[in-house]
Amino acid sequence: MSNYITGPDVVKYACSCGLLKPITRLYFCRHCLELRCGFCVCHEVDSNYCGKCCENLPSAEARLKKNRCGDCYDCPSCKQNLSKRAATVGPKNPEDPKATPRKVYYLLCLNCRWSSRDVGIPDQAAATGSWPERENVHAARLQEIIEMYKGIVLAEKQQKMEKDKKKQRRFMTFTDRTGITASMLRKRIGLPDIPHPLLKPKPKEPEEAVAKEEVEEFPEELLTKPINLNEITTLEQRLNLPEWQPTTVDKLFPIHKQVSVKRSQRCRACEHNVSKPEYSPTSIKFKIQLFAFYHIPEVRIFTVEPLRAGKQCELLLKFSNPTQHQTVITFLPLFPSEDSFASKEIKELVPDEEVPSREIVIEEKQPPSLPGSQPSSLLHTSLSRTPSITVKPRPIKQAITANVELPTSNFVLLPRDDAAEFDDSGDTHNIQDDTKLVVWRKSNKAVIRLNITPLENLNIGDEVVVGFTMQHIYVNTITAVESKEPQRYNNNVKVFQYLGKIVGSE
Amino acid sequence: MPLYEGIGTEKLTVVMDLGAAFTKLGFSGEFAPRHIIRSEVTLKGSNLTREIYSYVNGDDLYDLLVEFLHMIFFKYVLLSPKDKPVIIVESLLCPTIFRETLAKVLFSHYEIYSLLIVPSHLVSLAPLAINTALVVDVGYLETTVIPICHGLPVLHAWQALPLASQAINNKLRKHLHSCNIKISEVKQNIIDDIKVRCCFVTPQRRAIQFLKSNSQLNYCPDLQYPLGGTKIINVPGKIRETVAEFLFEEDNDHQCLSTMVLDSILKVNVDLRVKLAENILLTGGTVMLTGFKARFKEELYKQLNSSRYEKLKLSKFMFHSAPSKDNYTAWLGGAIYGATEVLGMKSITREYYFKESRLPDWPNMKDNSRIQ
Ligand SMILES: [Zn+2]
Ligand SMILES: [Zn+2]
Ligand SMILES: [Zn+2]
Ligand SMILES: [Zn+2]
Repeated sequence: MSNYITGPDVVKYACSCGLLKPITRLYFCRHCLELRCGFCVCHEVDSNYCGKCCENLPSAEARLKKNRCGDCYDCPSCKQNLSKRAATVGPKNPEDPKATPRKVYYLLCLNCRWSSRDVGIPDQAAATGSWPERENVHAARLQEIIEMYKGIVLAEKQQKMEKDKKKQRRFMTFTDRTGITASMLRKRIGLPDIPHPLLKPKPKEPEEAVAKEEVEEFPEELLTKPINLNEITTLEQRLNLPEWQPTTVDKLFPIHKQVSVKRSQRCRACEHNVSKPEYSPTSIKFKIQLFAFYHIPEVRIFTVEPLRAGKQCELLLKFSNPTQHQTVITFLPLFPSEDSFASKEIKELVPDEEVPSREIVIEEKQPPSLPGSQPSSLLHTSLSRTPSITVKPRPIKQAITANVELPTSNFVLLPRDDAAEFDDSGDTHNIQDDTKLVVWRKSNKAVIRLNITPLENLNIGDEVVVGFTMQHIYVNTITAVESKEPQRYNNNVKVFQYLGKIVGSE
Repeated sequence: MPLYEGIGTEKLTVVMDLGAAFTKLGFSGEFAPRHIIRSEVTLKGSNLTREIYSYVNGDDLYDLLVEFLHMIFFKYVLLSPKDKPVIIVESLLCPTIFRETLAKVLFSHYEIYSLLIVPSHLVSLAPLAINTALVVDVGYLETTVIPICHGLPVLHAWQALPLASQAINNKLRKHLHSCNIKISEVKQNIIDDIKVRCCFVTPQRRAIQFLKSNSQLNYCPDLQYPLGGTKIINVPGKIRETVAEFLFEEDNDHQCLSTMVLDSILKVNVDLRVKLAENILLTGGTVMLTGFKARFKEELYKQLNSSRYEKLKLSKFMFHSAPSKDNYTAWLGGAIYGATEVLGMKSITREYYFKESRLPDWPNMKDNSRIQ
């Protein structure tokens, strides 16, 4: 498994969208019986939570709080979590003999030692909430301007609607960006100062901003006084507070921690979820998880003989069946239309040149492939949701640099049986294998032998890539729920192996 | 219109300004973006970071934007994009391929409900509640100057030159190379940081002195920029003070920032020239460089004395100061537009997009420039 985390990915599967990915990065939609990946599914925000205090924020609350946790803060200096620290200070009124010391709280970064006291934020009497918030100094003026624009546009809209009623609409279209020509402008200029169309009806107009002759003065002391870089904020620190962008560190102040989201993924062809996390922020489990790793046989490279251009060599692949059902694996050429695929110059089939520009095709919605199946995850769909658009798959661009002699016989993969892992009683299966093909088998796994020949024209150091279509029998258990016989499908998956580089002759 | 987020809550529309260096993200009706992030993605597996604007063709850009927008929606704005409206603030001079690809990604990959594209120079005036100004946007790749008259961008008067942040960064890296070894391995964001924290634009009087061969003037003090706790980058005073000088030095075509402004004014009708000169708006992150605005003003006055601009008959320049930080003025304009009914009136819906399978050109301007 570690191989999938650290890479390199030596076996890739072709997703239905045309991208090649390792099996761990693929979904398998049980409704469409197609591979899907992070690129071609529809991602949705499922829930909001704070990564520090692990509180869920309902979406209305998250929106109100601008997607930030009310209680947790990030350090404005290094972006790590800020901790609340308690300190004891003398009583408010030291003269009073009965007064007891008080507890006060401040924020401290345990990473860079930044503290709310550094920038003069007063200590708080309560541990939770009520840290001072900073307001935008232009808020009042900007609110006024927004209201004005709203009013103007609304008035314009009404005017337009009235005009539409009278059917006196005049059109003026500009065919391109330079369509607004000097002559048109001159036409305008001949007229008295017409205000911006947005400003026309003038319901309520705040004063226009007035330009000044003065600009920010140059700070002369910069020329002689050495500056202390520790006092000047970094670009990153400034941009972390986009509204204020303080230039000196004494103006930094705590940042409310941004919440994180859990995402669910939906198949765009049938609208079913292929992955949906549990709601609880502390849970890493899923309500729905149609990962390909649990449905599609896994292919691993077992060994491969040294690769030499034009020389046949032996490739051993290990197949394992992740499902509870026996399956049969058959090898087919990568591209079904080519019968004599194996003997042909394969490179021709996968043109290396630029693919034509990505076409967007809205395909007709296919009815769900399983009649009568319960669209359970469809229930989450809100009423406003429109059907998804299907983007035409892109052509697979991977160049194939070796021929593979496709075996004519197929082989059986037994169902996965977790108990068998601990069973030392030996191989009790009773399967008549083609011994030329199957070299080893145990429980749900089998190692098979393929003969491959890297292309004649390869040079030392060139990458060798082979591929075939793996046909396996997929047993769909969705229908079994309705007490019917589980349906069996022949499912085809294109699998590519990256075998390494051509080496020199013996 | 679909129900965005259930009943009873106010609509929140995402407003994005995808700059070449930084992307500004937030919601309509708010006074500042919630995030300003680098316009780049780290590709899965390879750990390679690529800038969005480093695309080699449309398909490459498509994939970069899919990655980048995924991060925007699920890491920053935290919103399912499907069936939602989106507002994009975009330069009028944005390459068509970028514009078209962005729309394609938003509509076909993210299935947004509608898209409103607002031109950055025009909407930059919204926070000021004015409708005539000369907008000078000093960004990352280039500086663009577009006059806006009565709410209409005067496109034929536009000026654009690659005199902006990227060029400063390149100069800075080159100059630092002479006094620091292995500077070429230093990441772009460190160079950015050195520029922002150590460098400034010097006043004109000093710049003139420095050009003289017998200058007696001392540069500002040298600096040592700490790198990663153990290393140090030496930043000489000369570099700190003069790295951005080239913005104001005329090139072979006798062009620089100040001539761009005056050339742009020259291309506008005589009646409007004074008004534009007295309503200059500087936007873009680069204008936040210490001393930039003061020097910019000095340079404009200097150019007035040259014979090229005699006929302008200008005597005074006046500058606006937007109720925002200069790097998000355009975003703020988009957020103001987005809070109004313009969203419903001028947006391109998904339905329209797939019927026409292209974007109308500046649909928002079509209406903004109606003449009665
Ligand atoms: Zn896919
Ligand atoms: Zn929290
Ligand atoms: Zn810290
Ligand atoms: Zn499906």
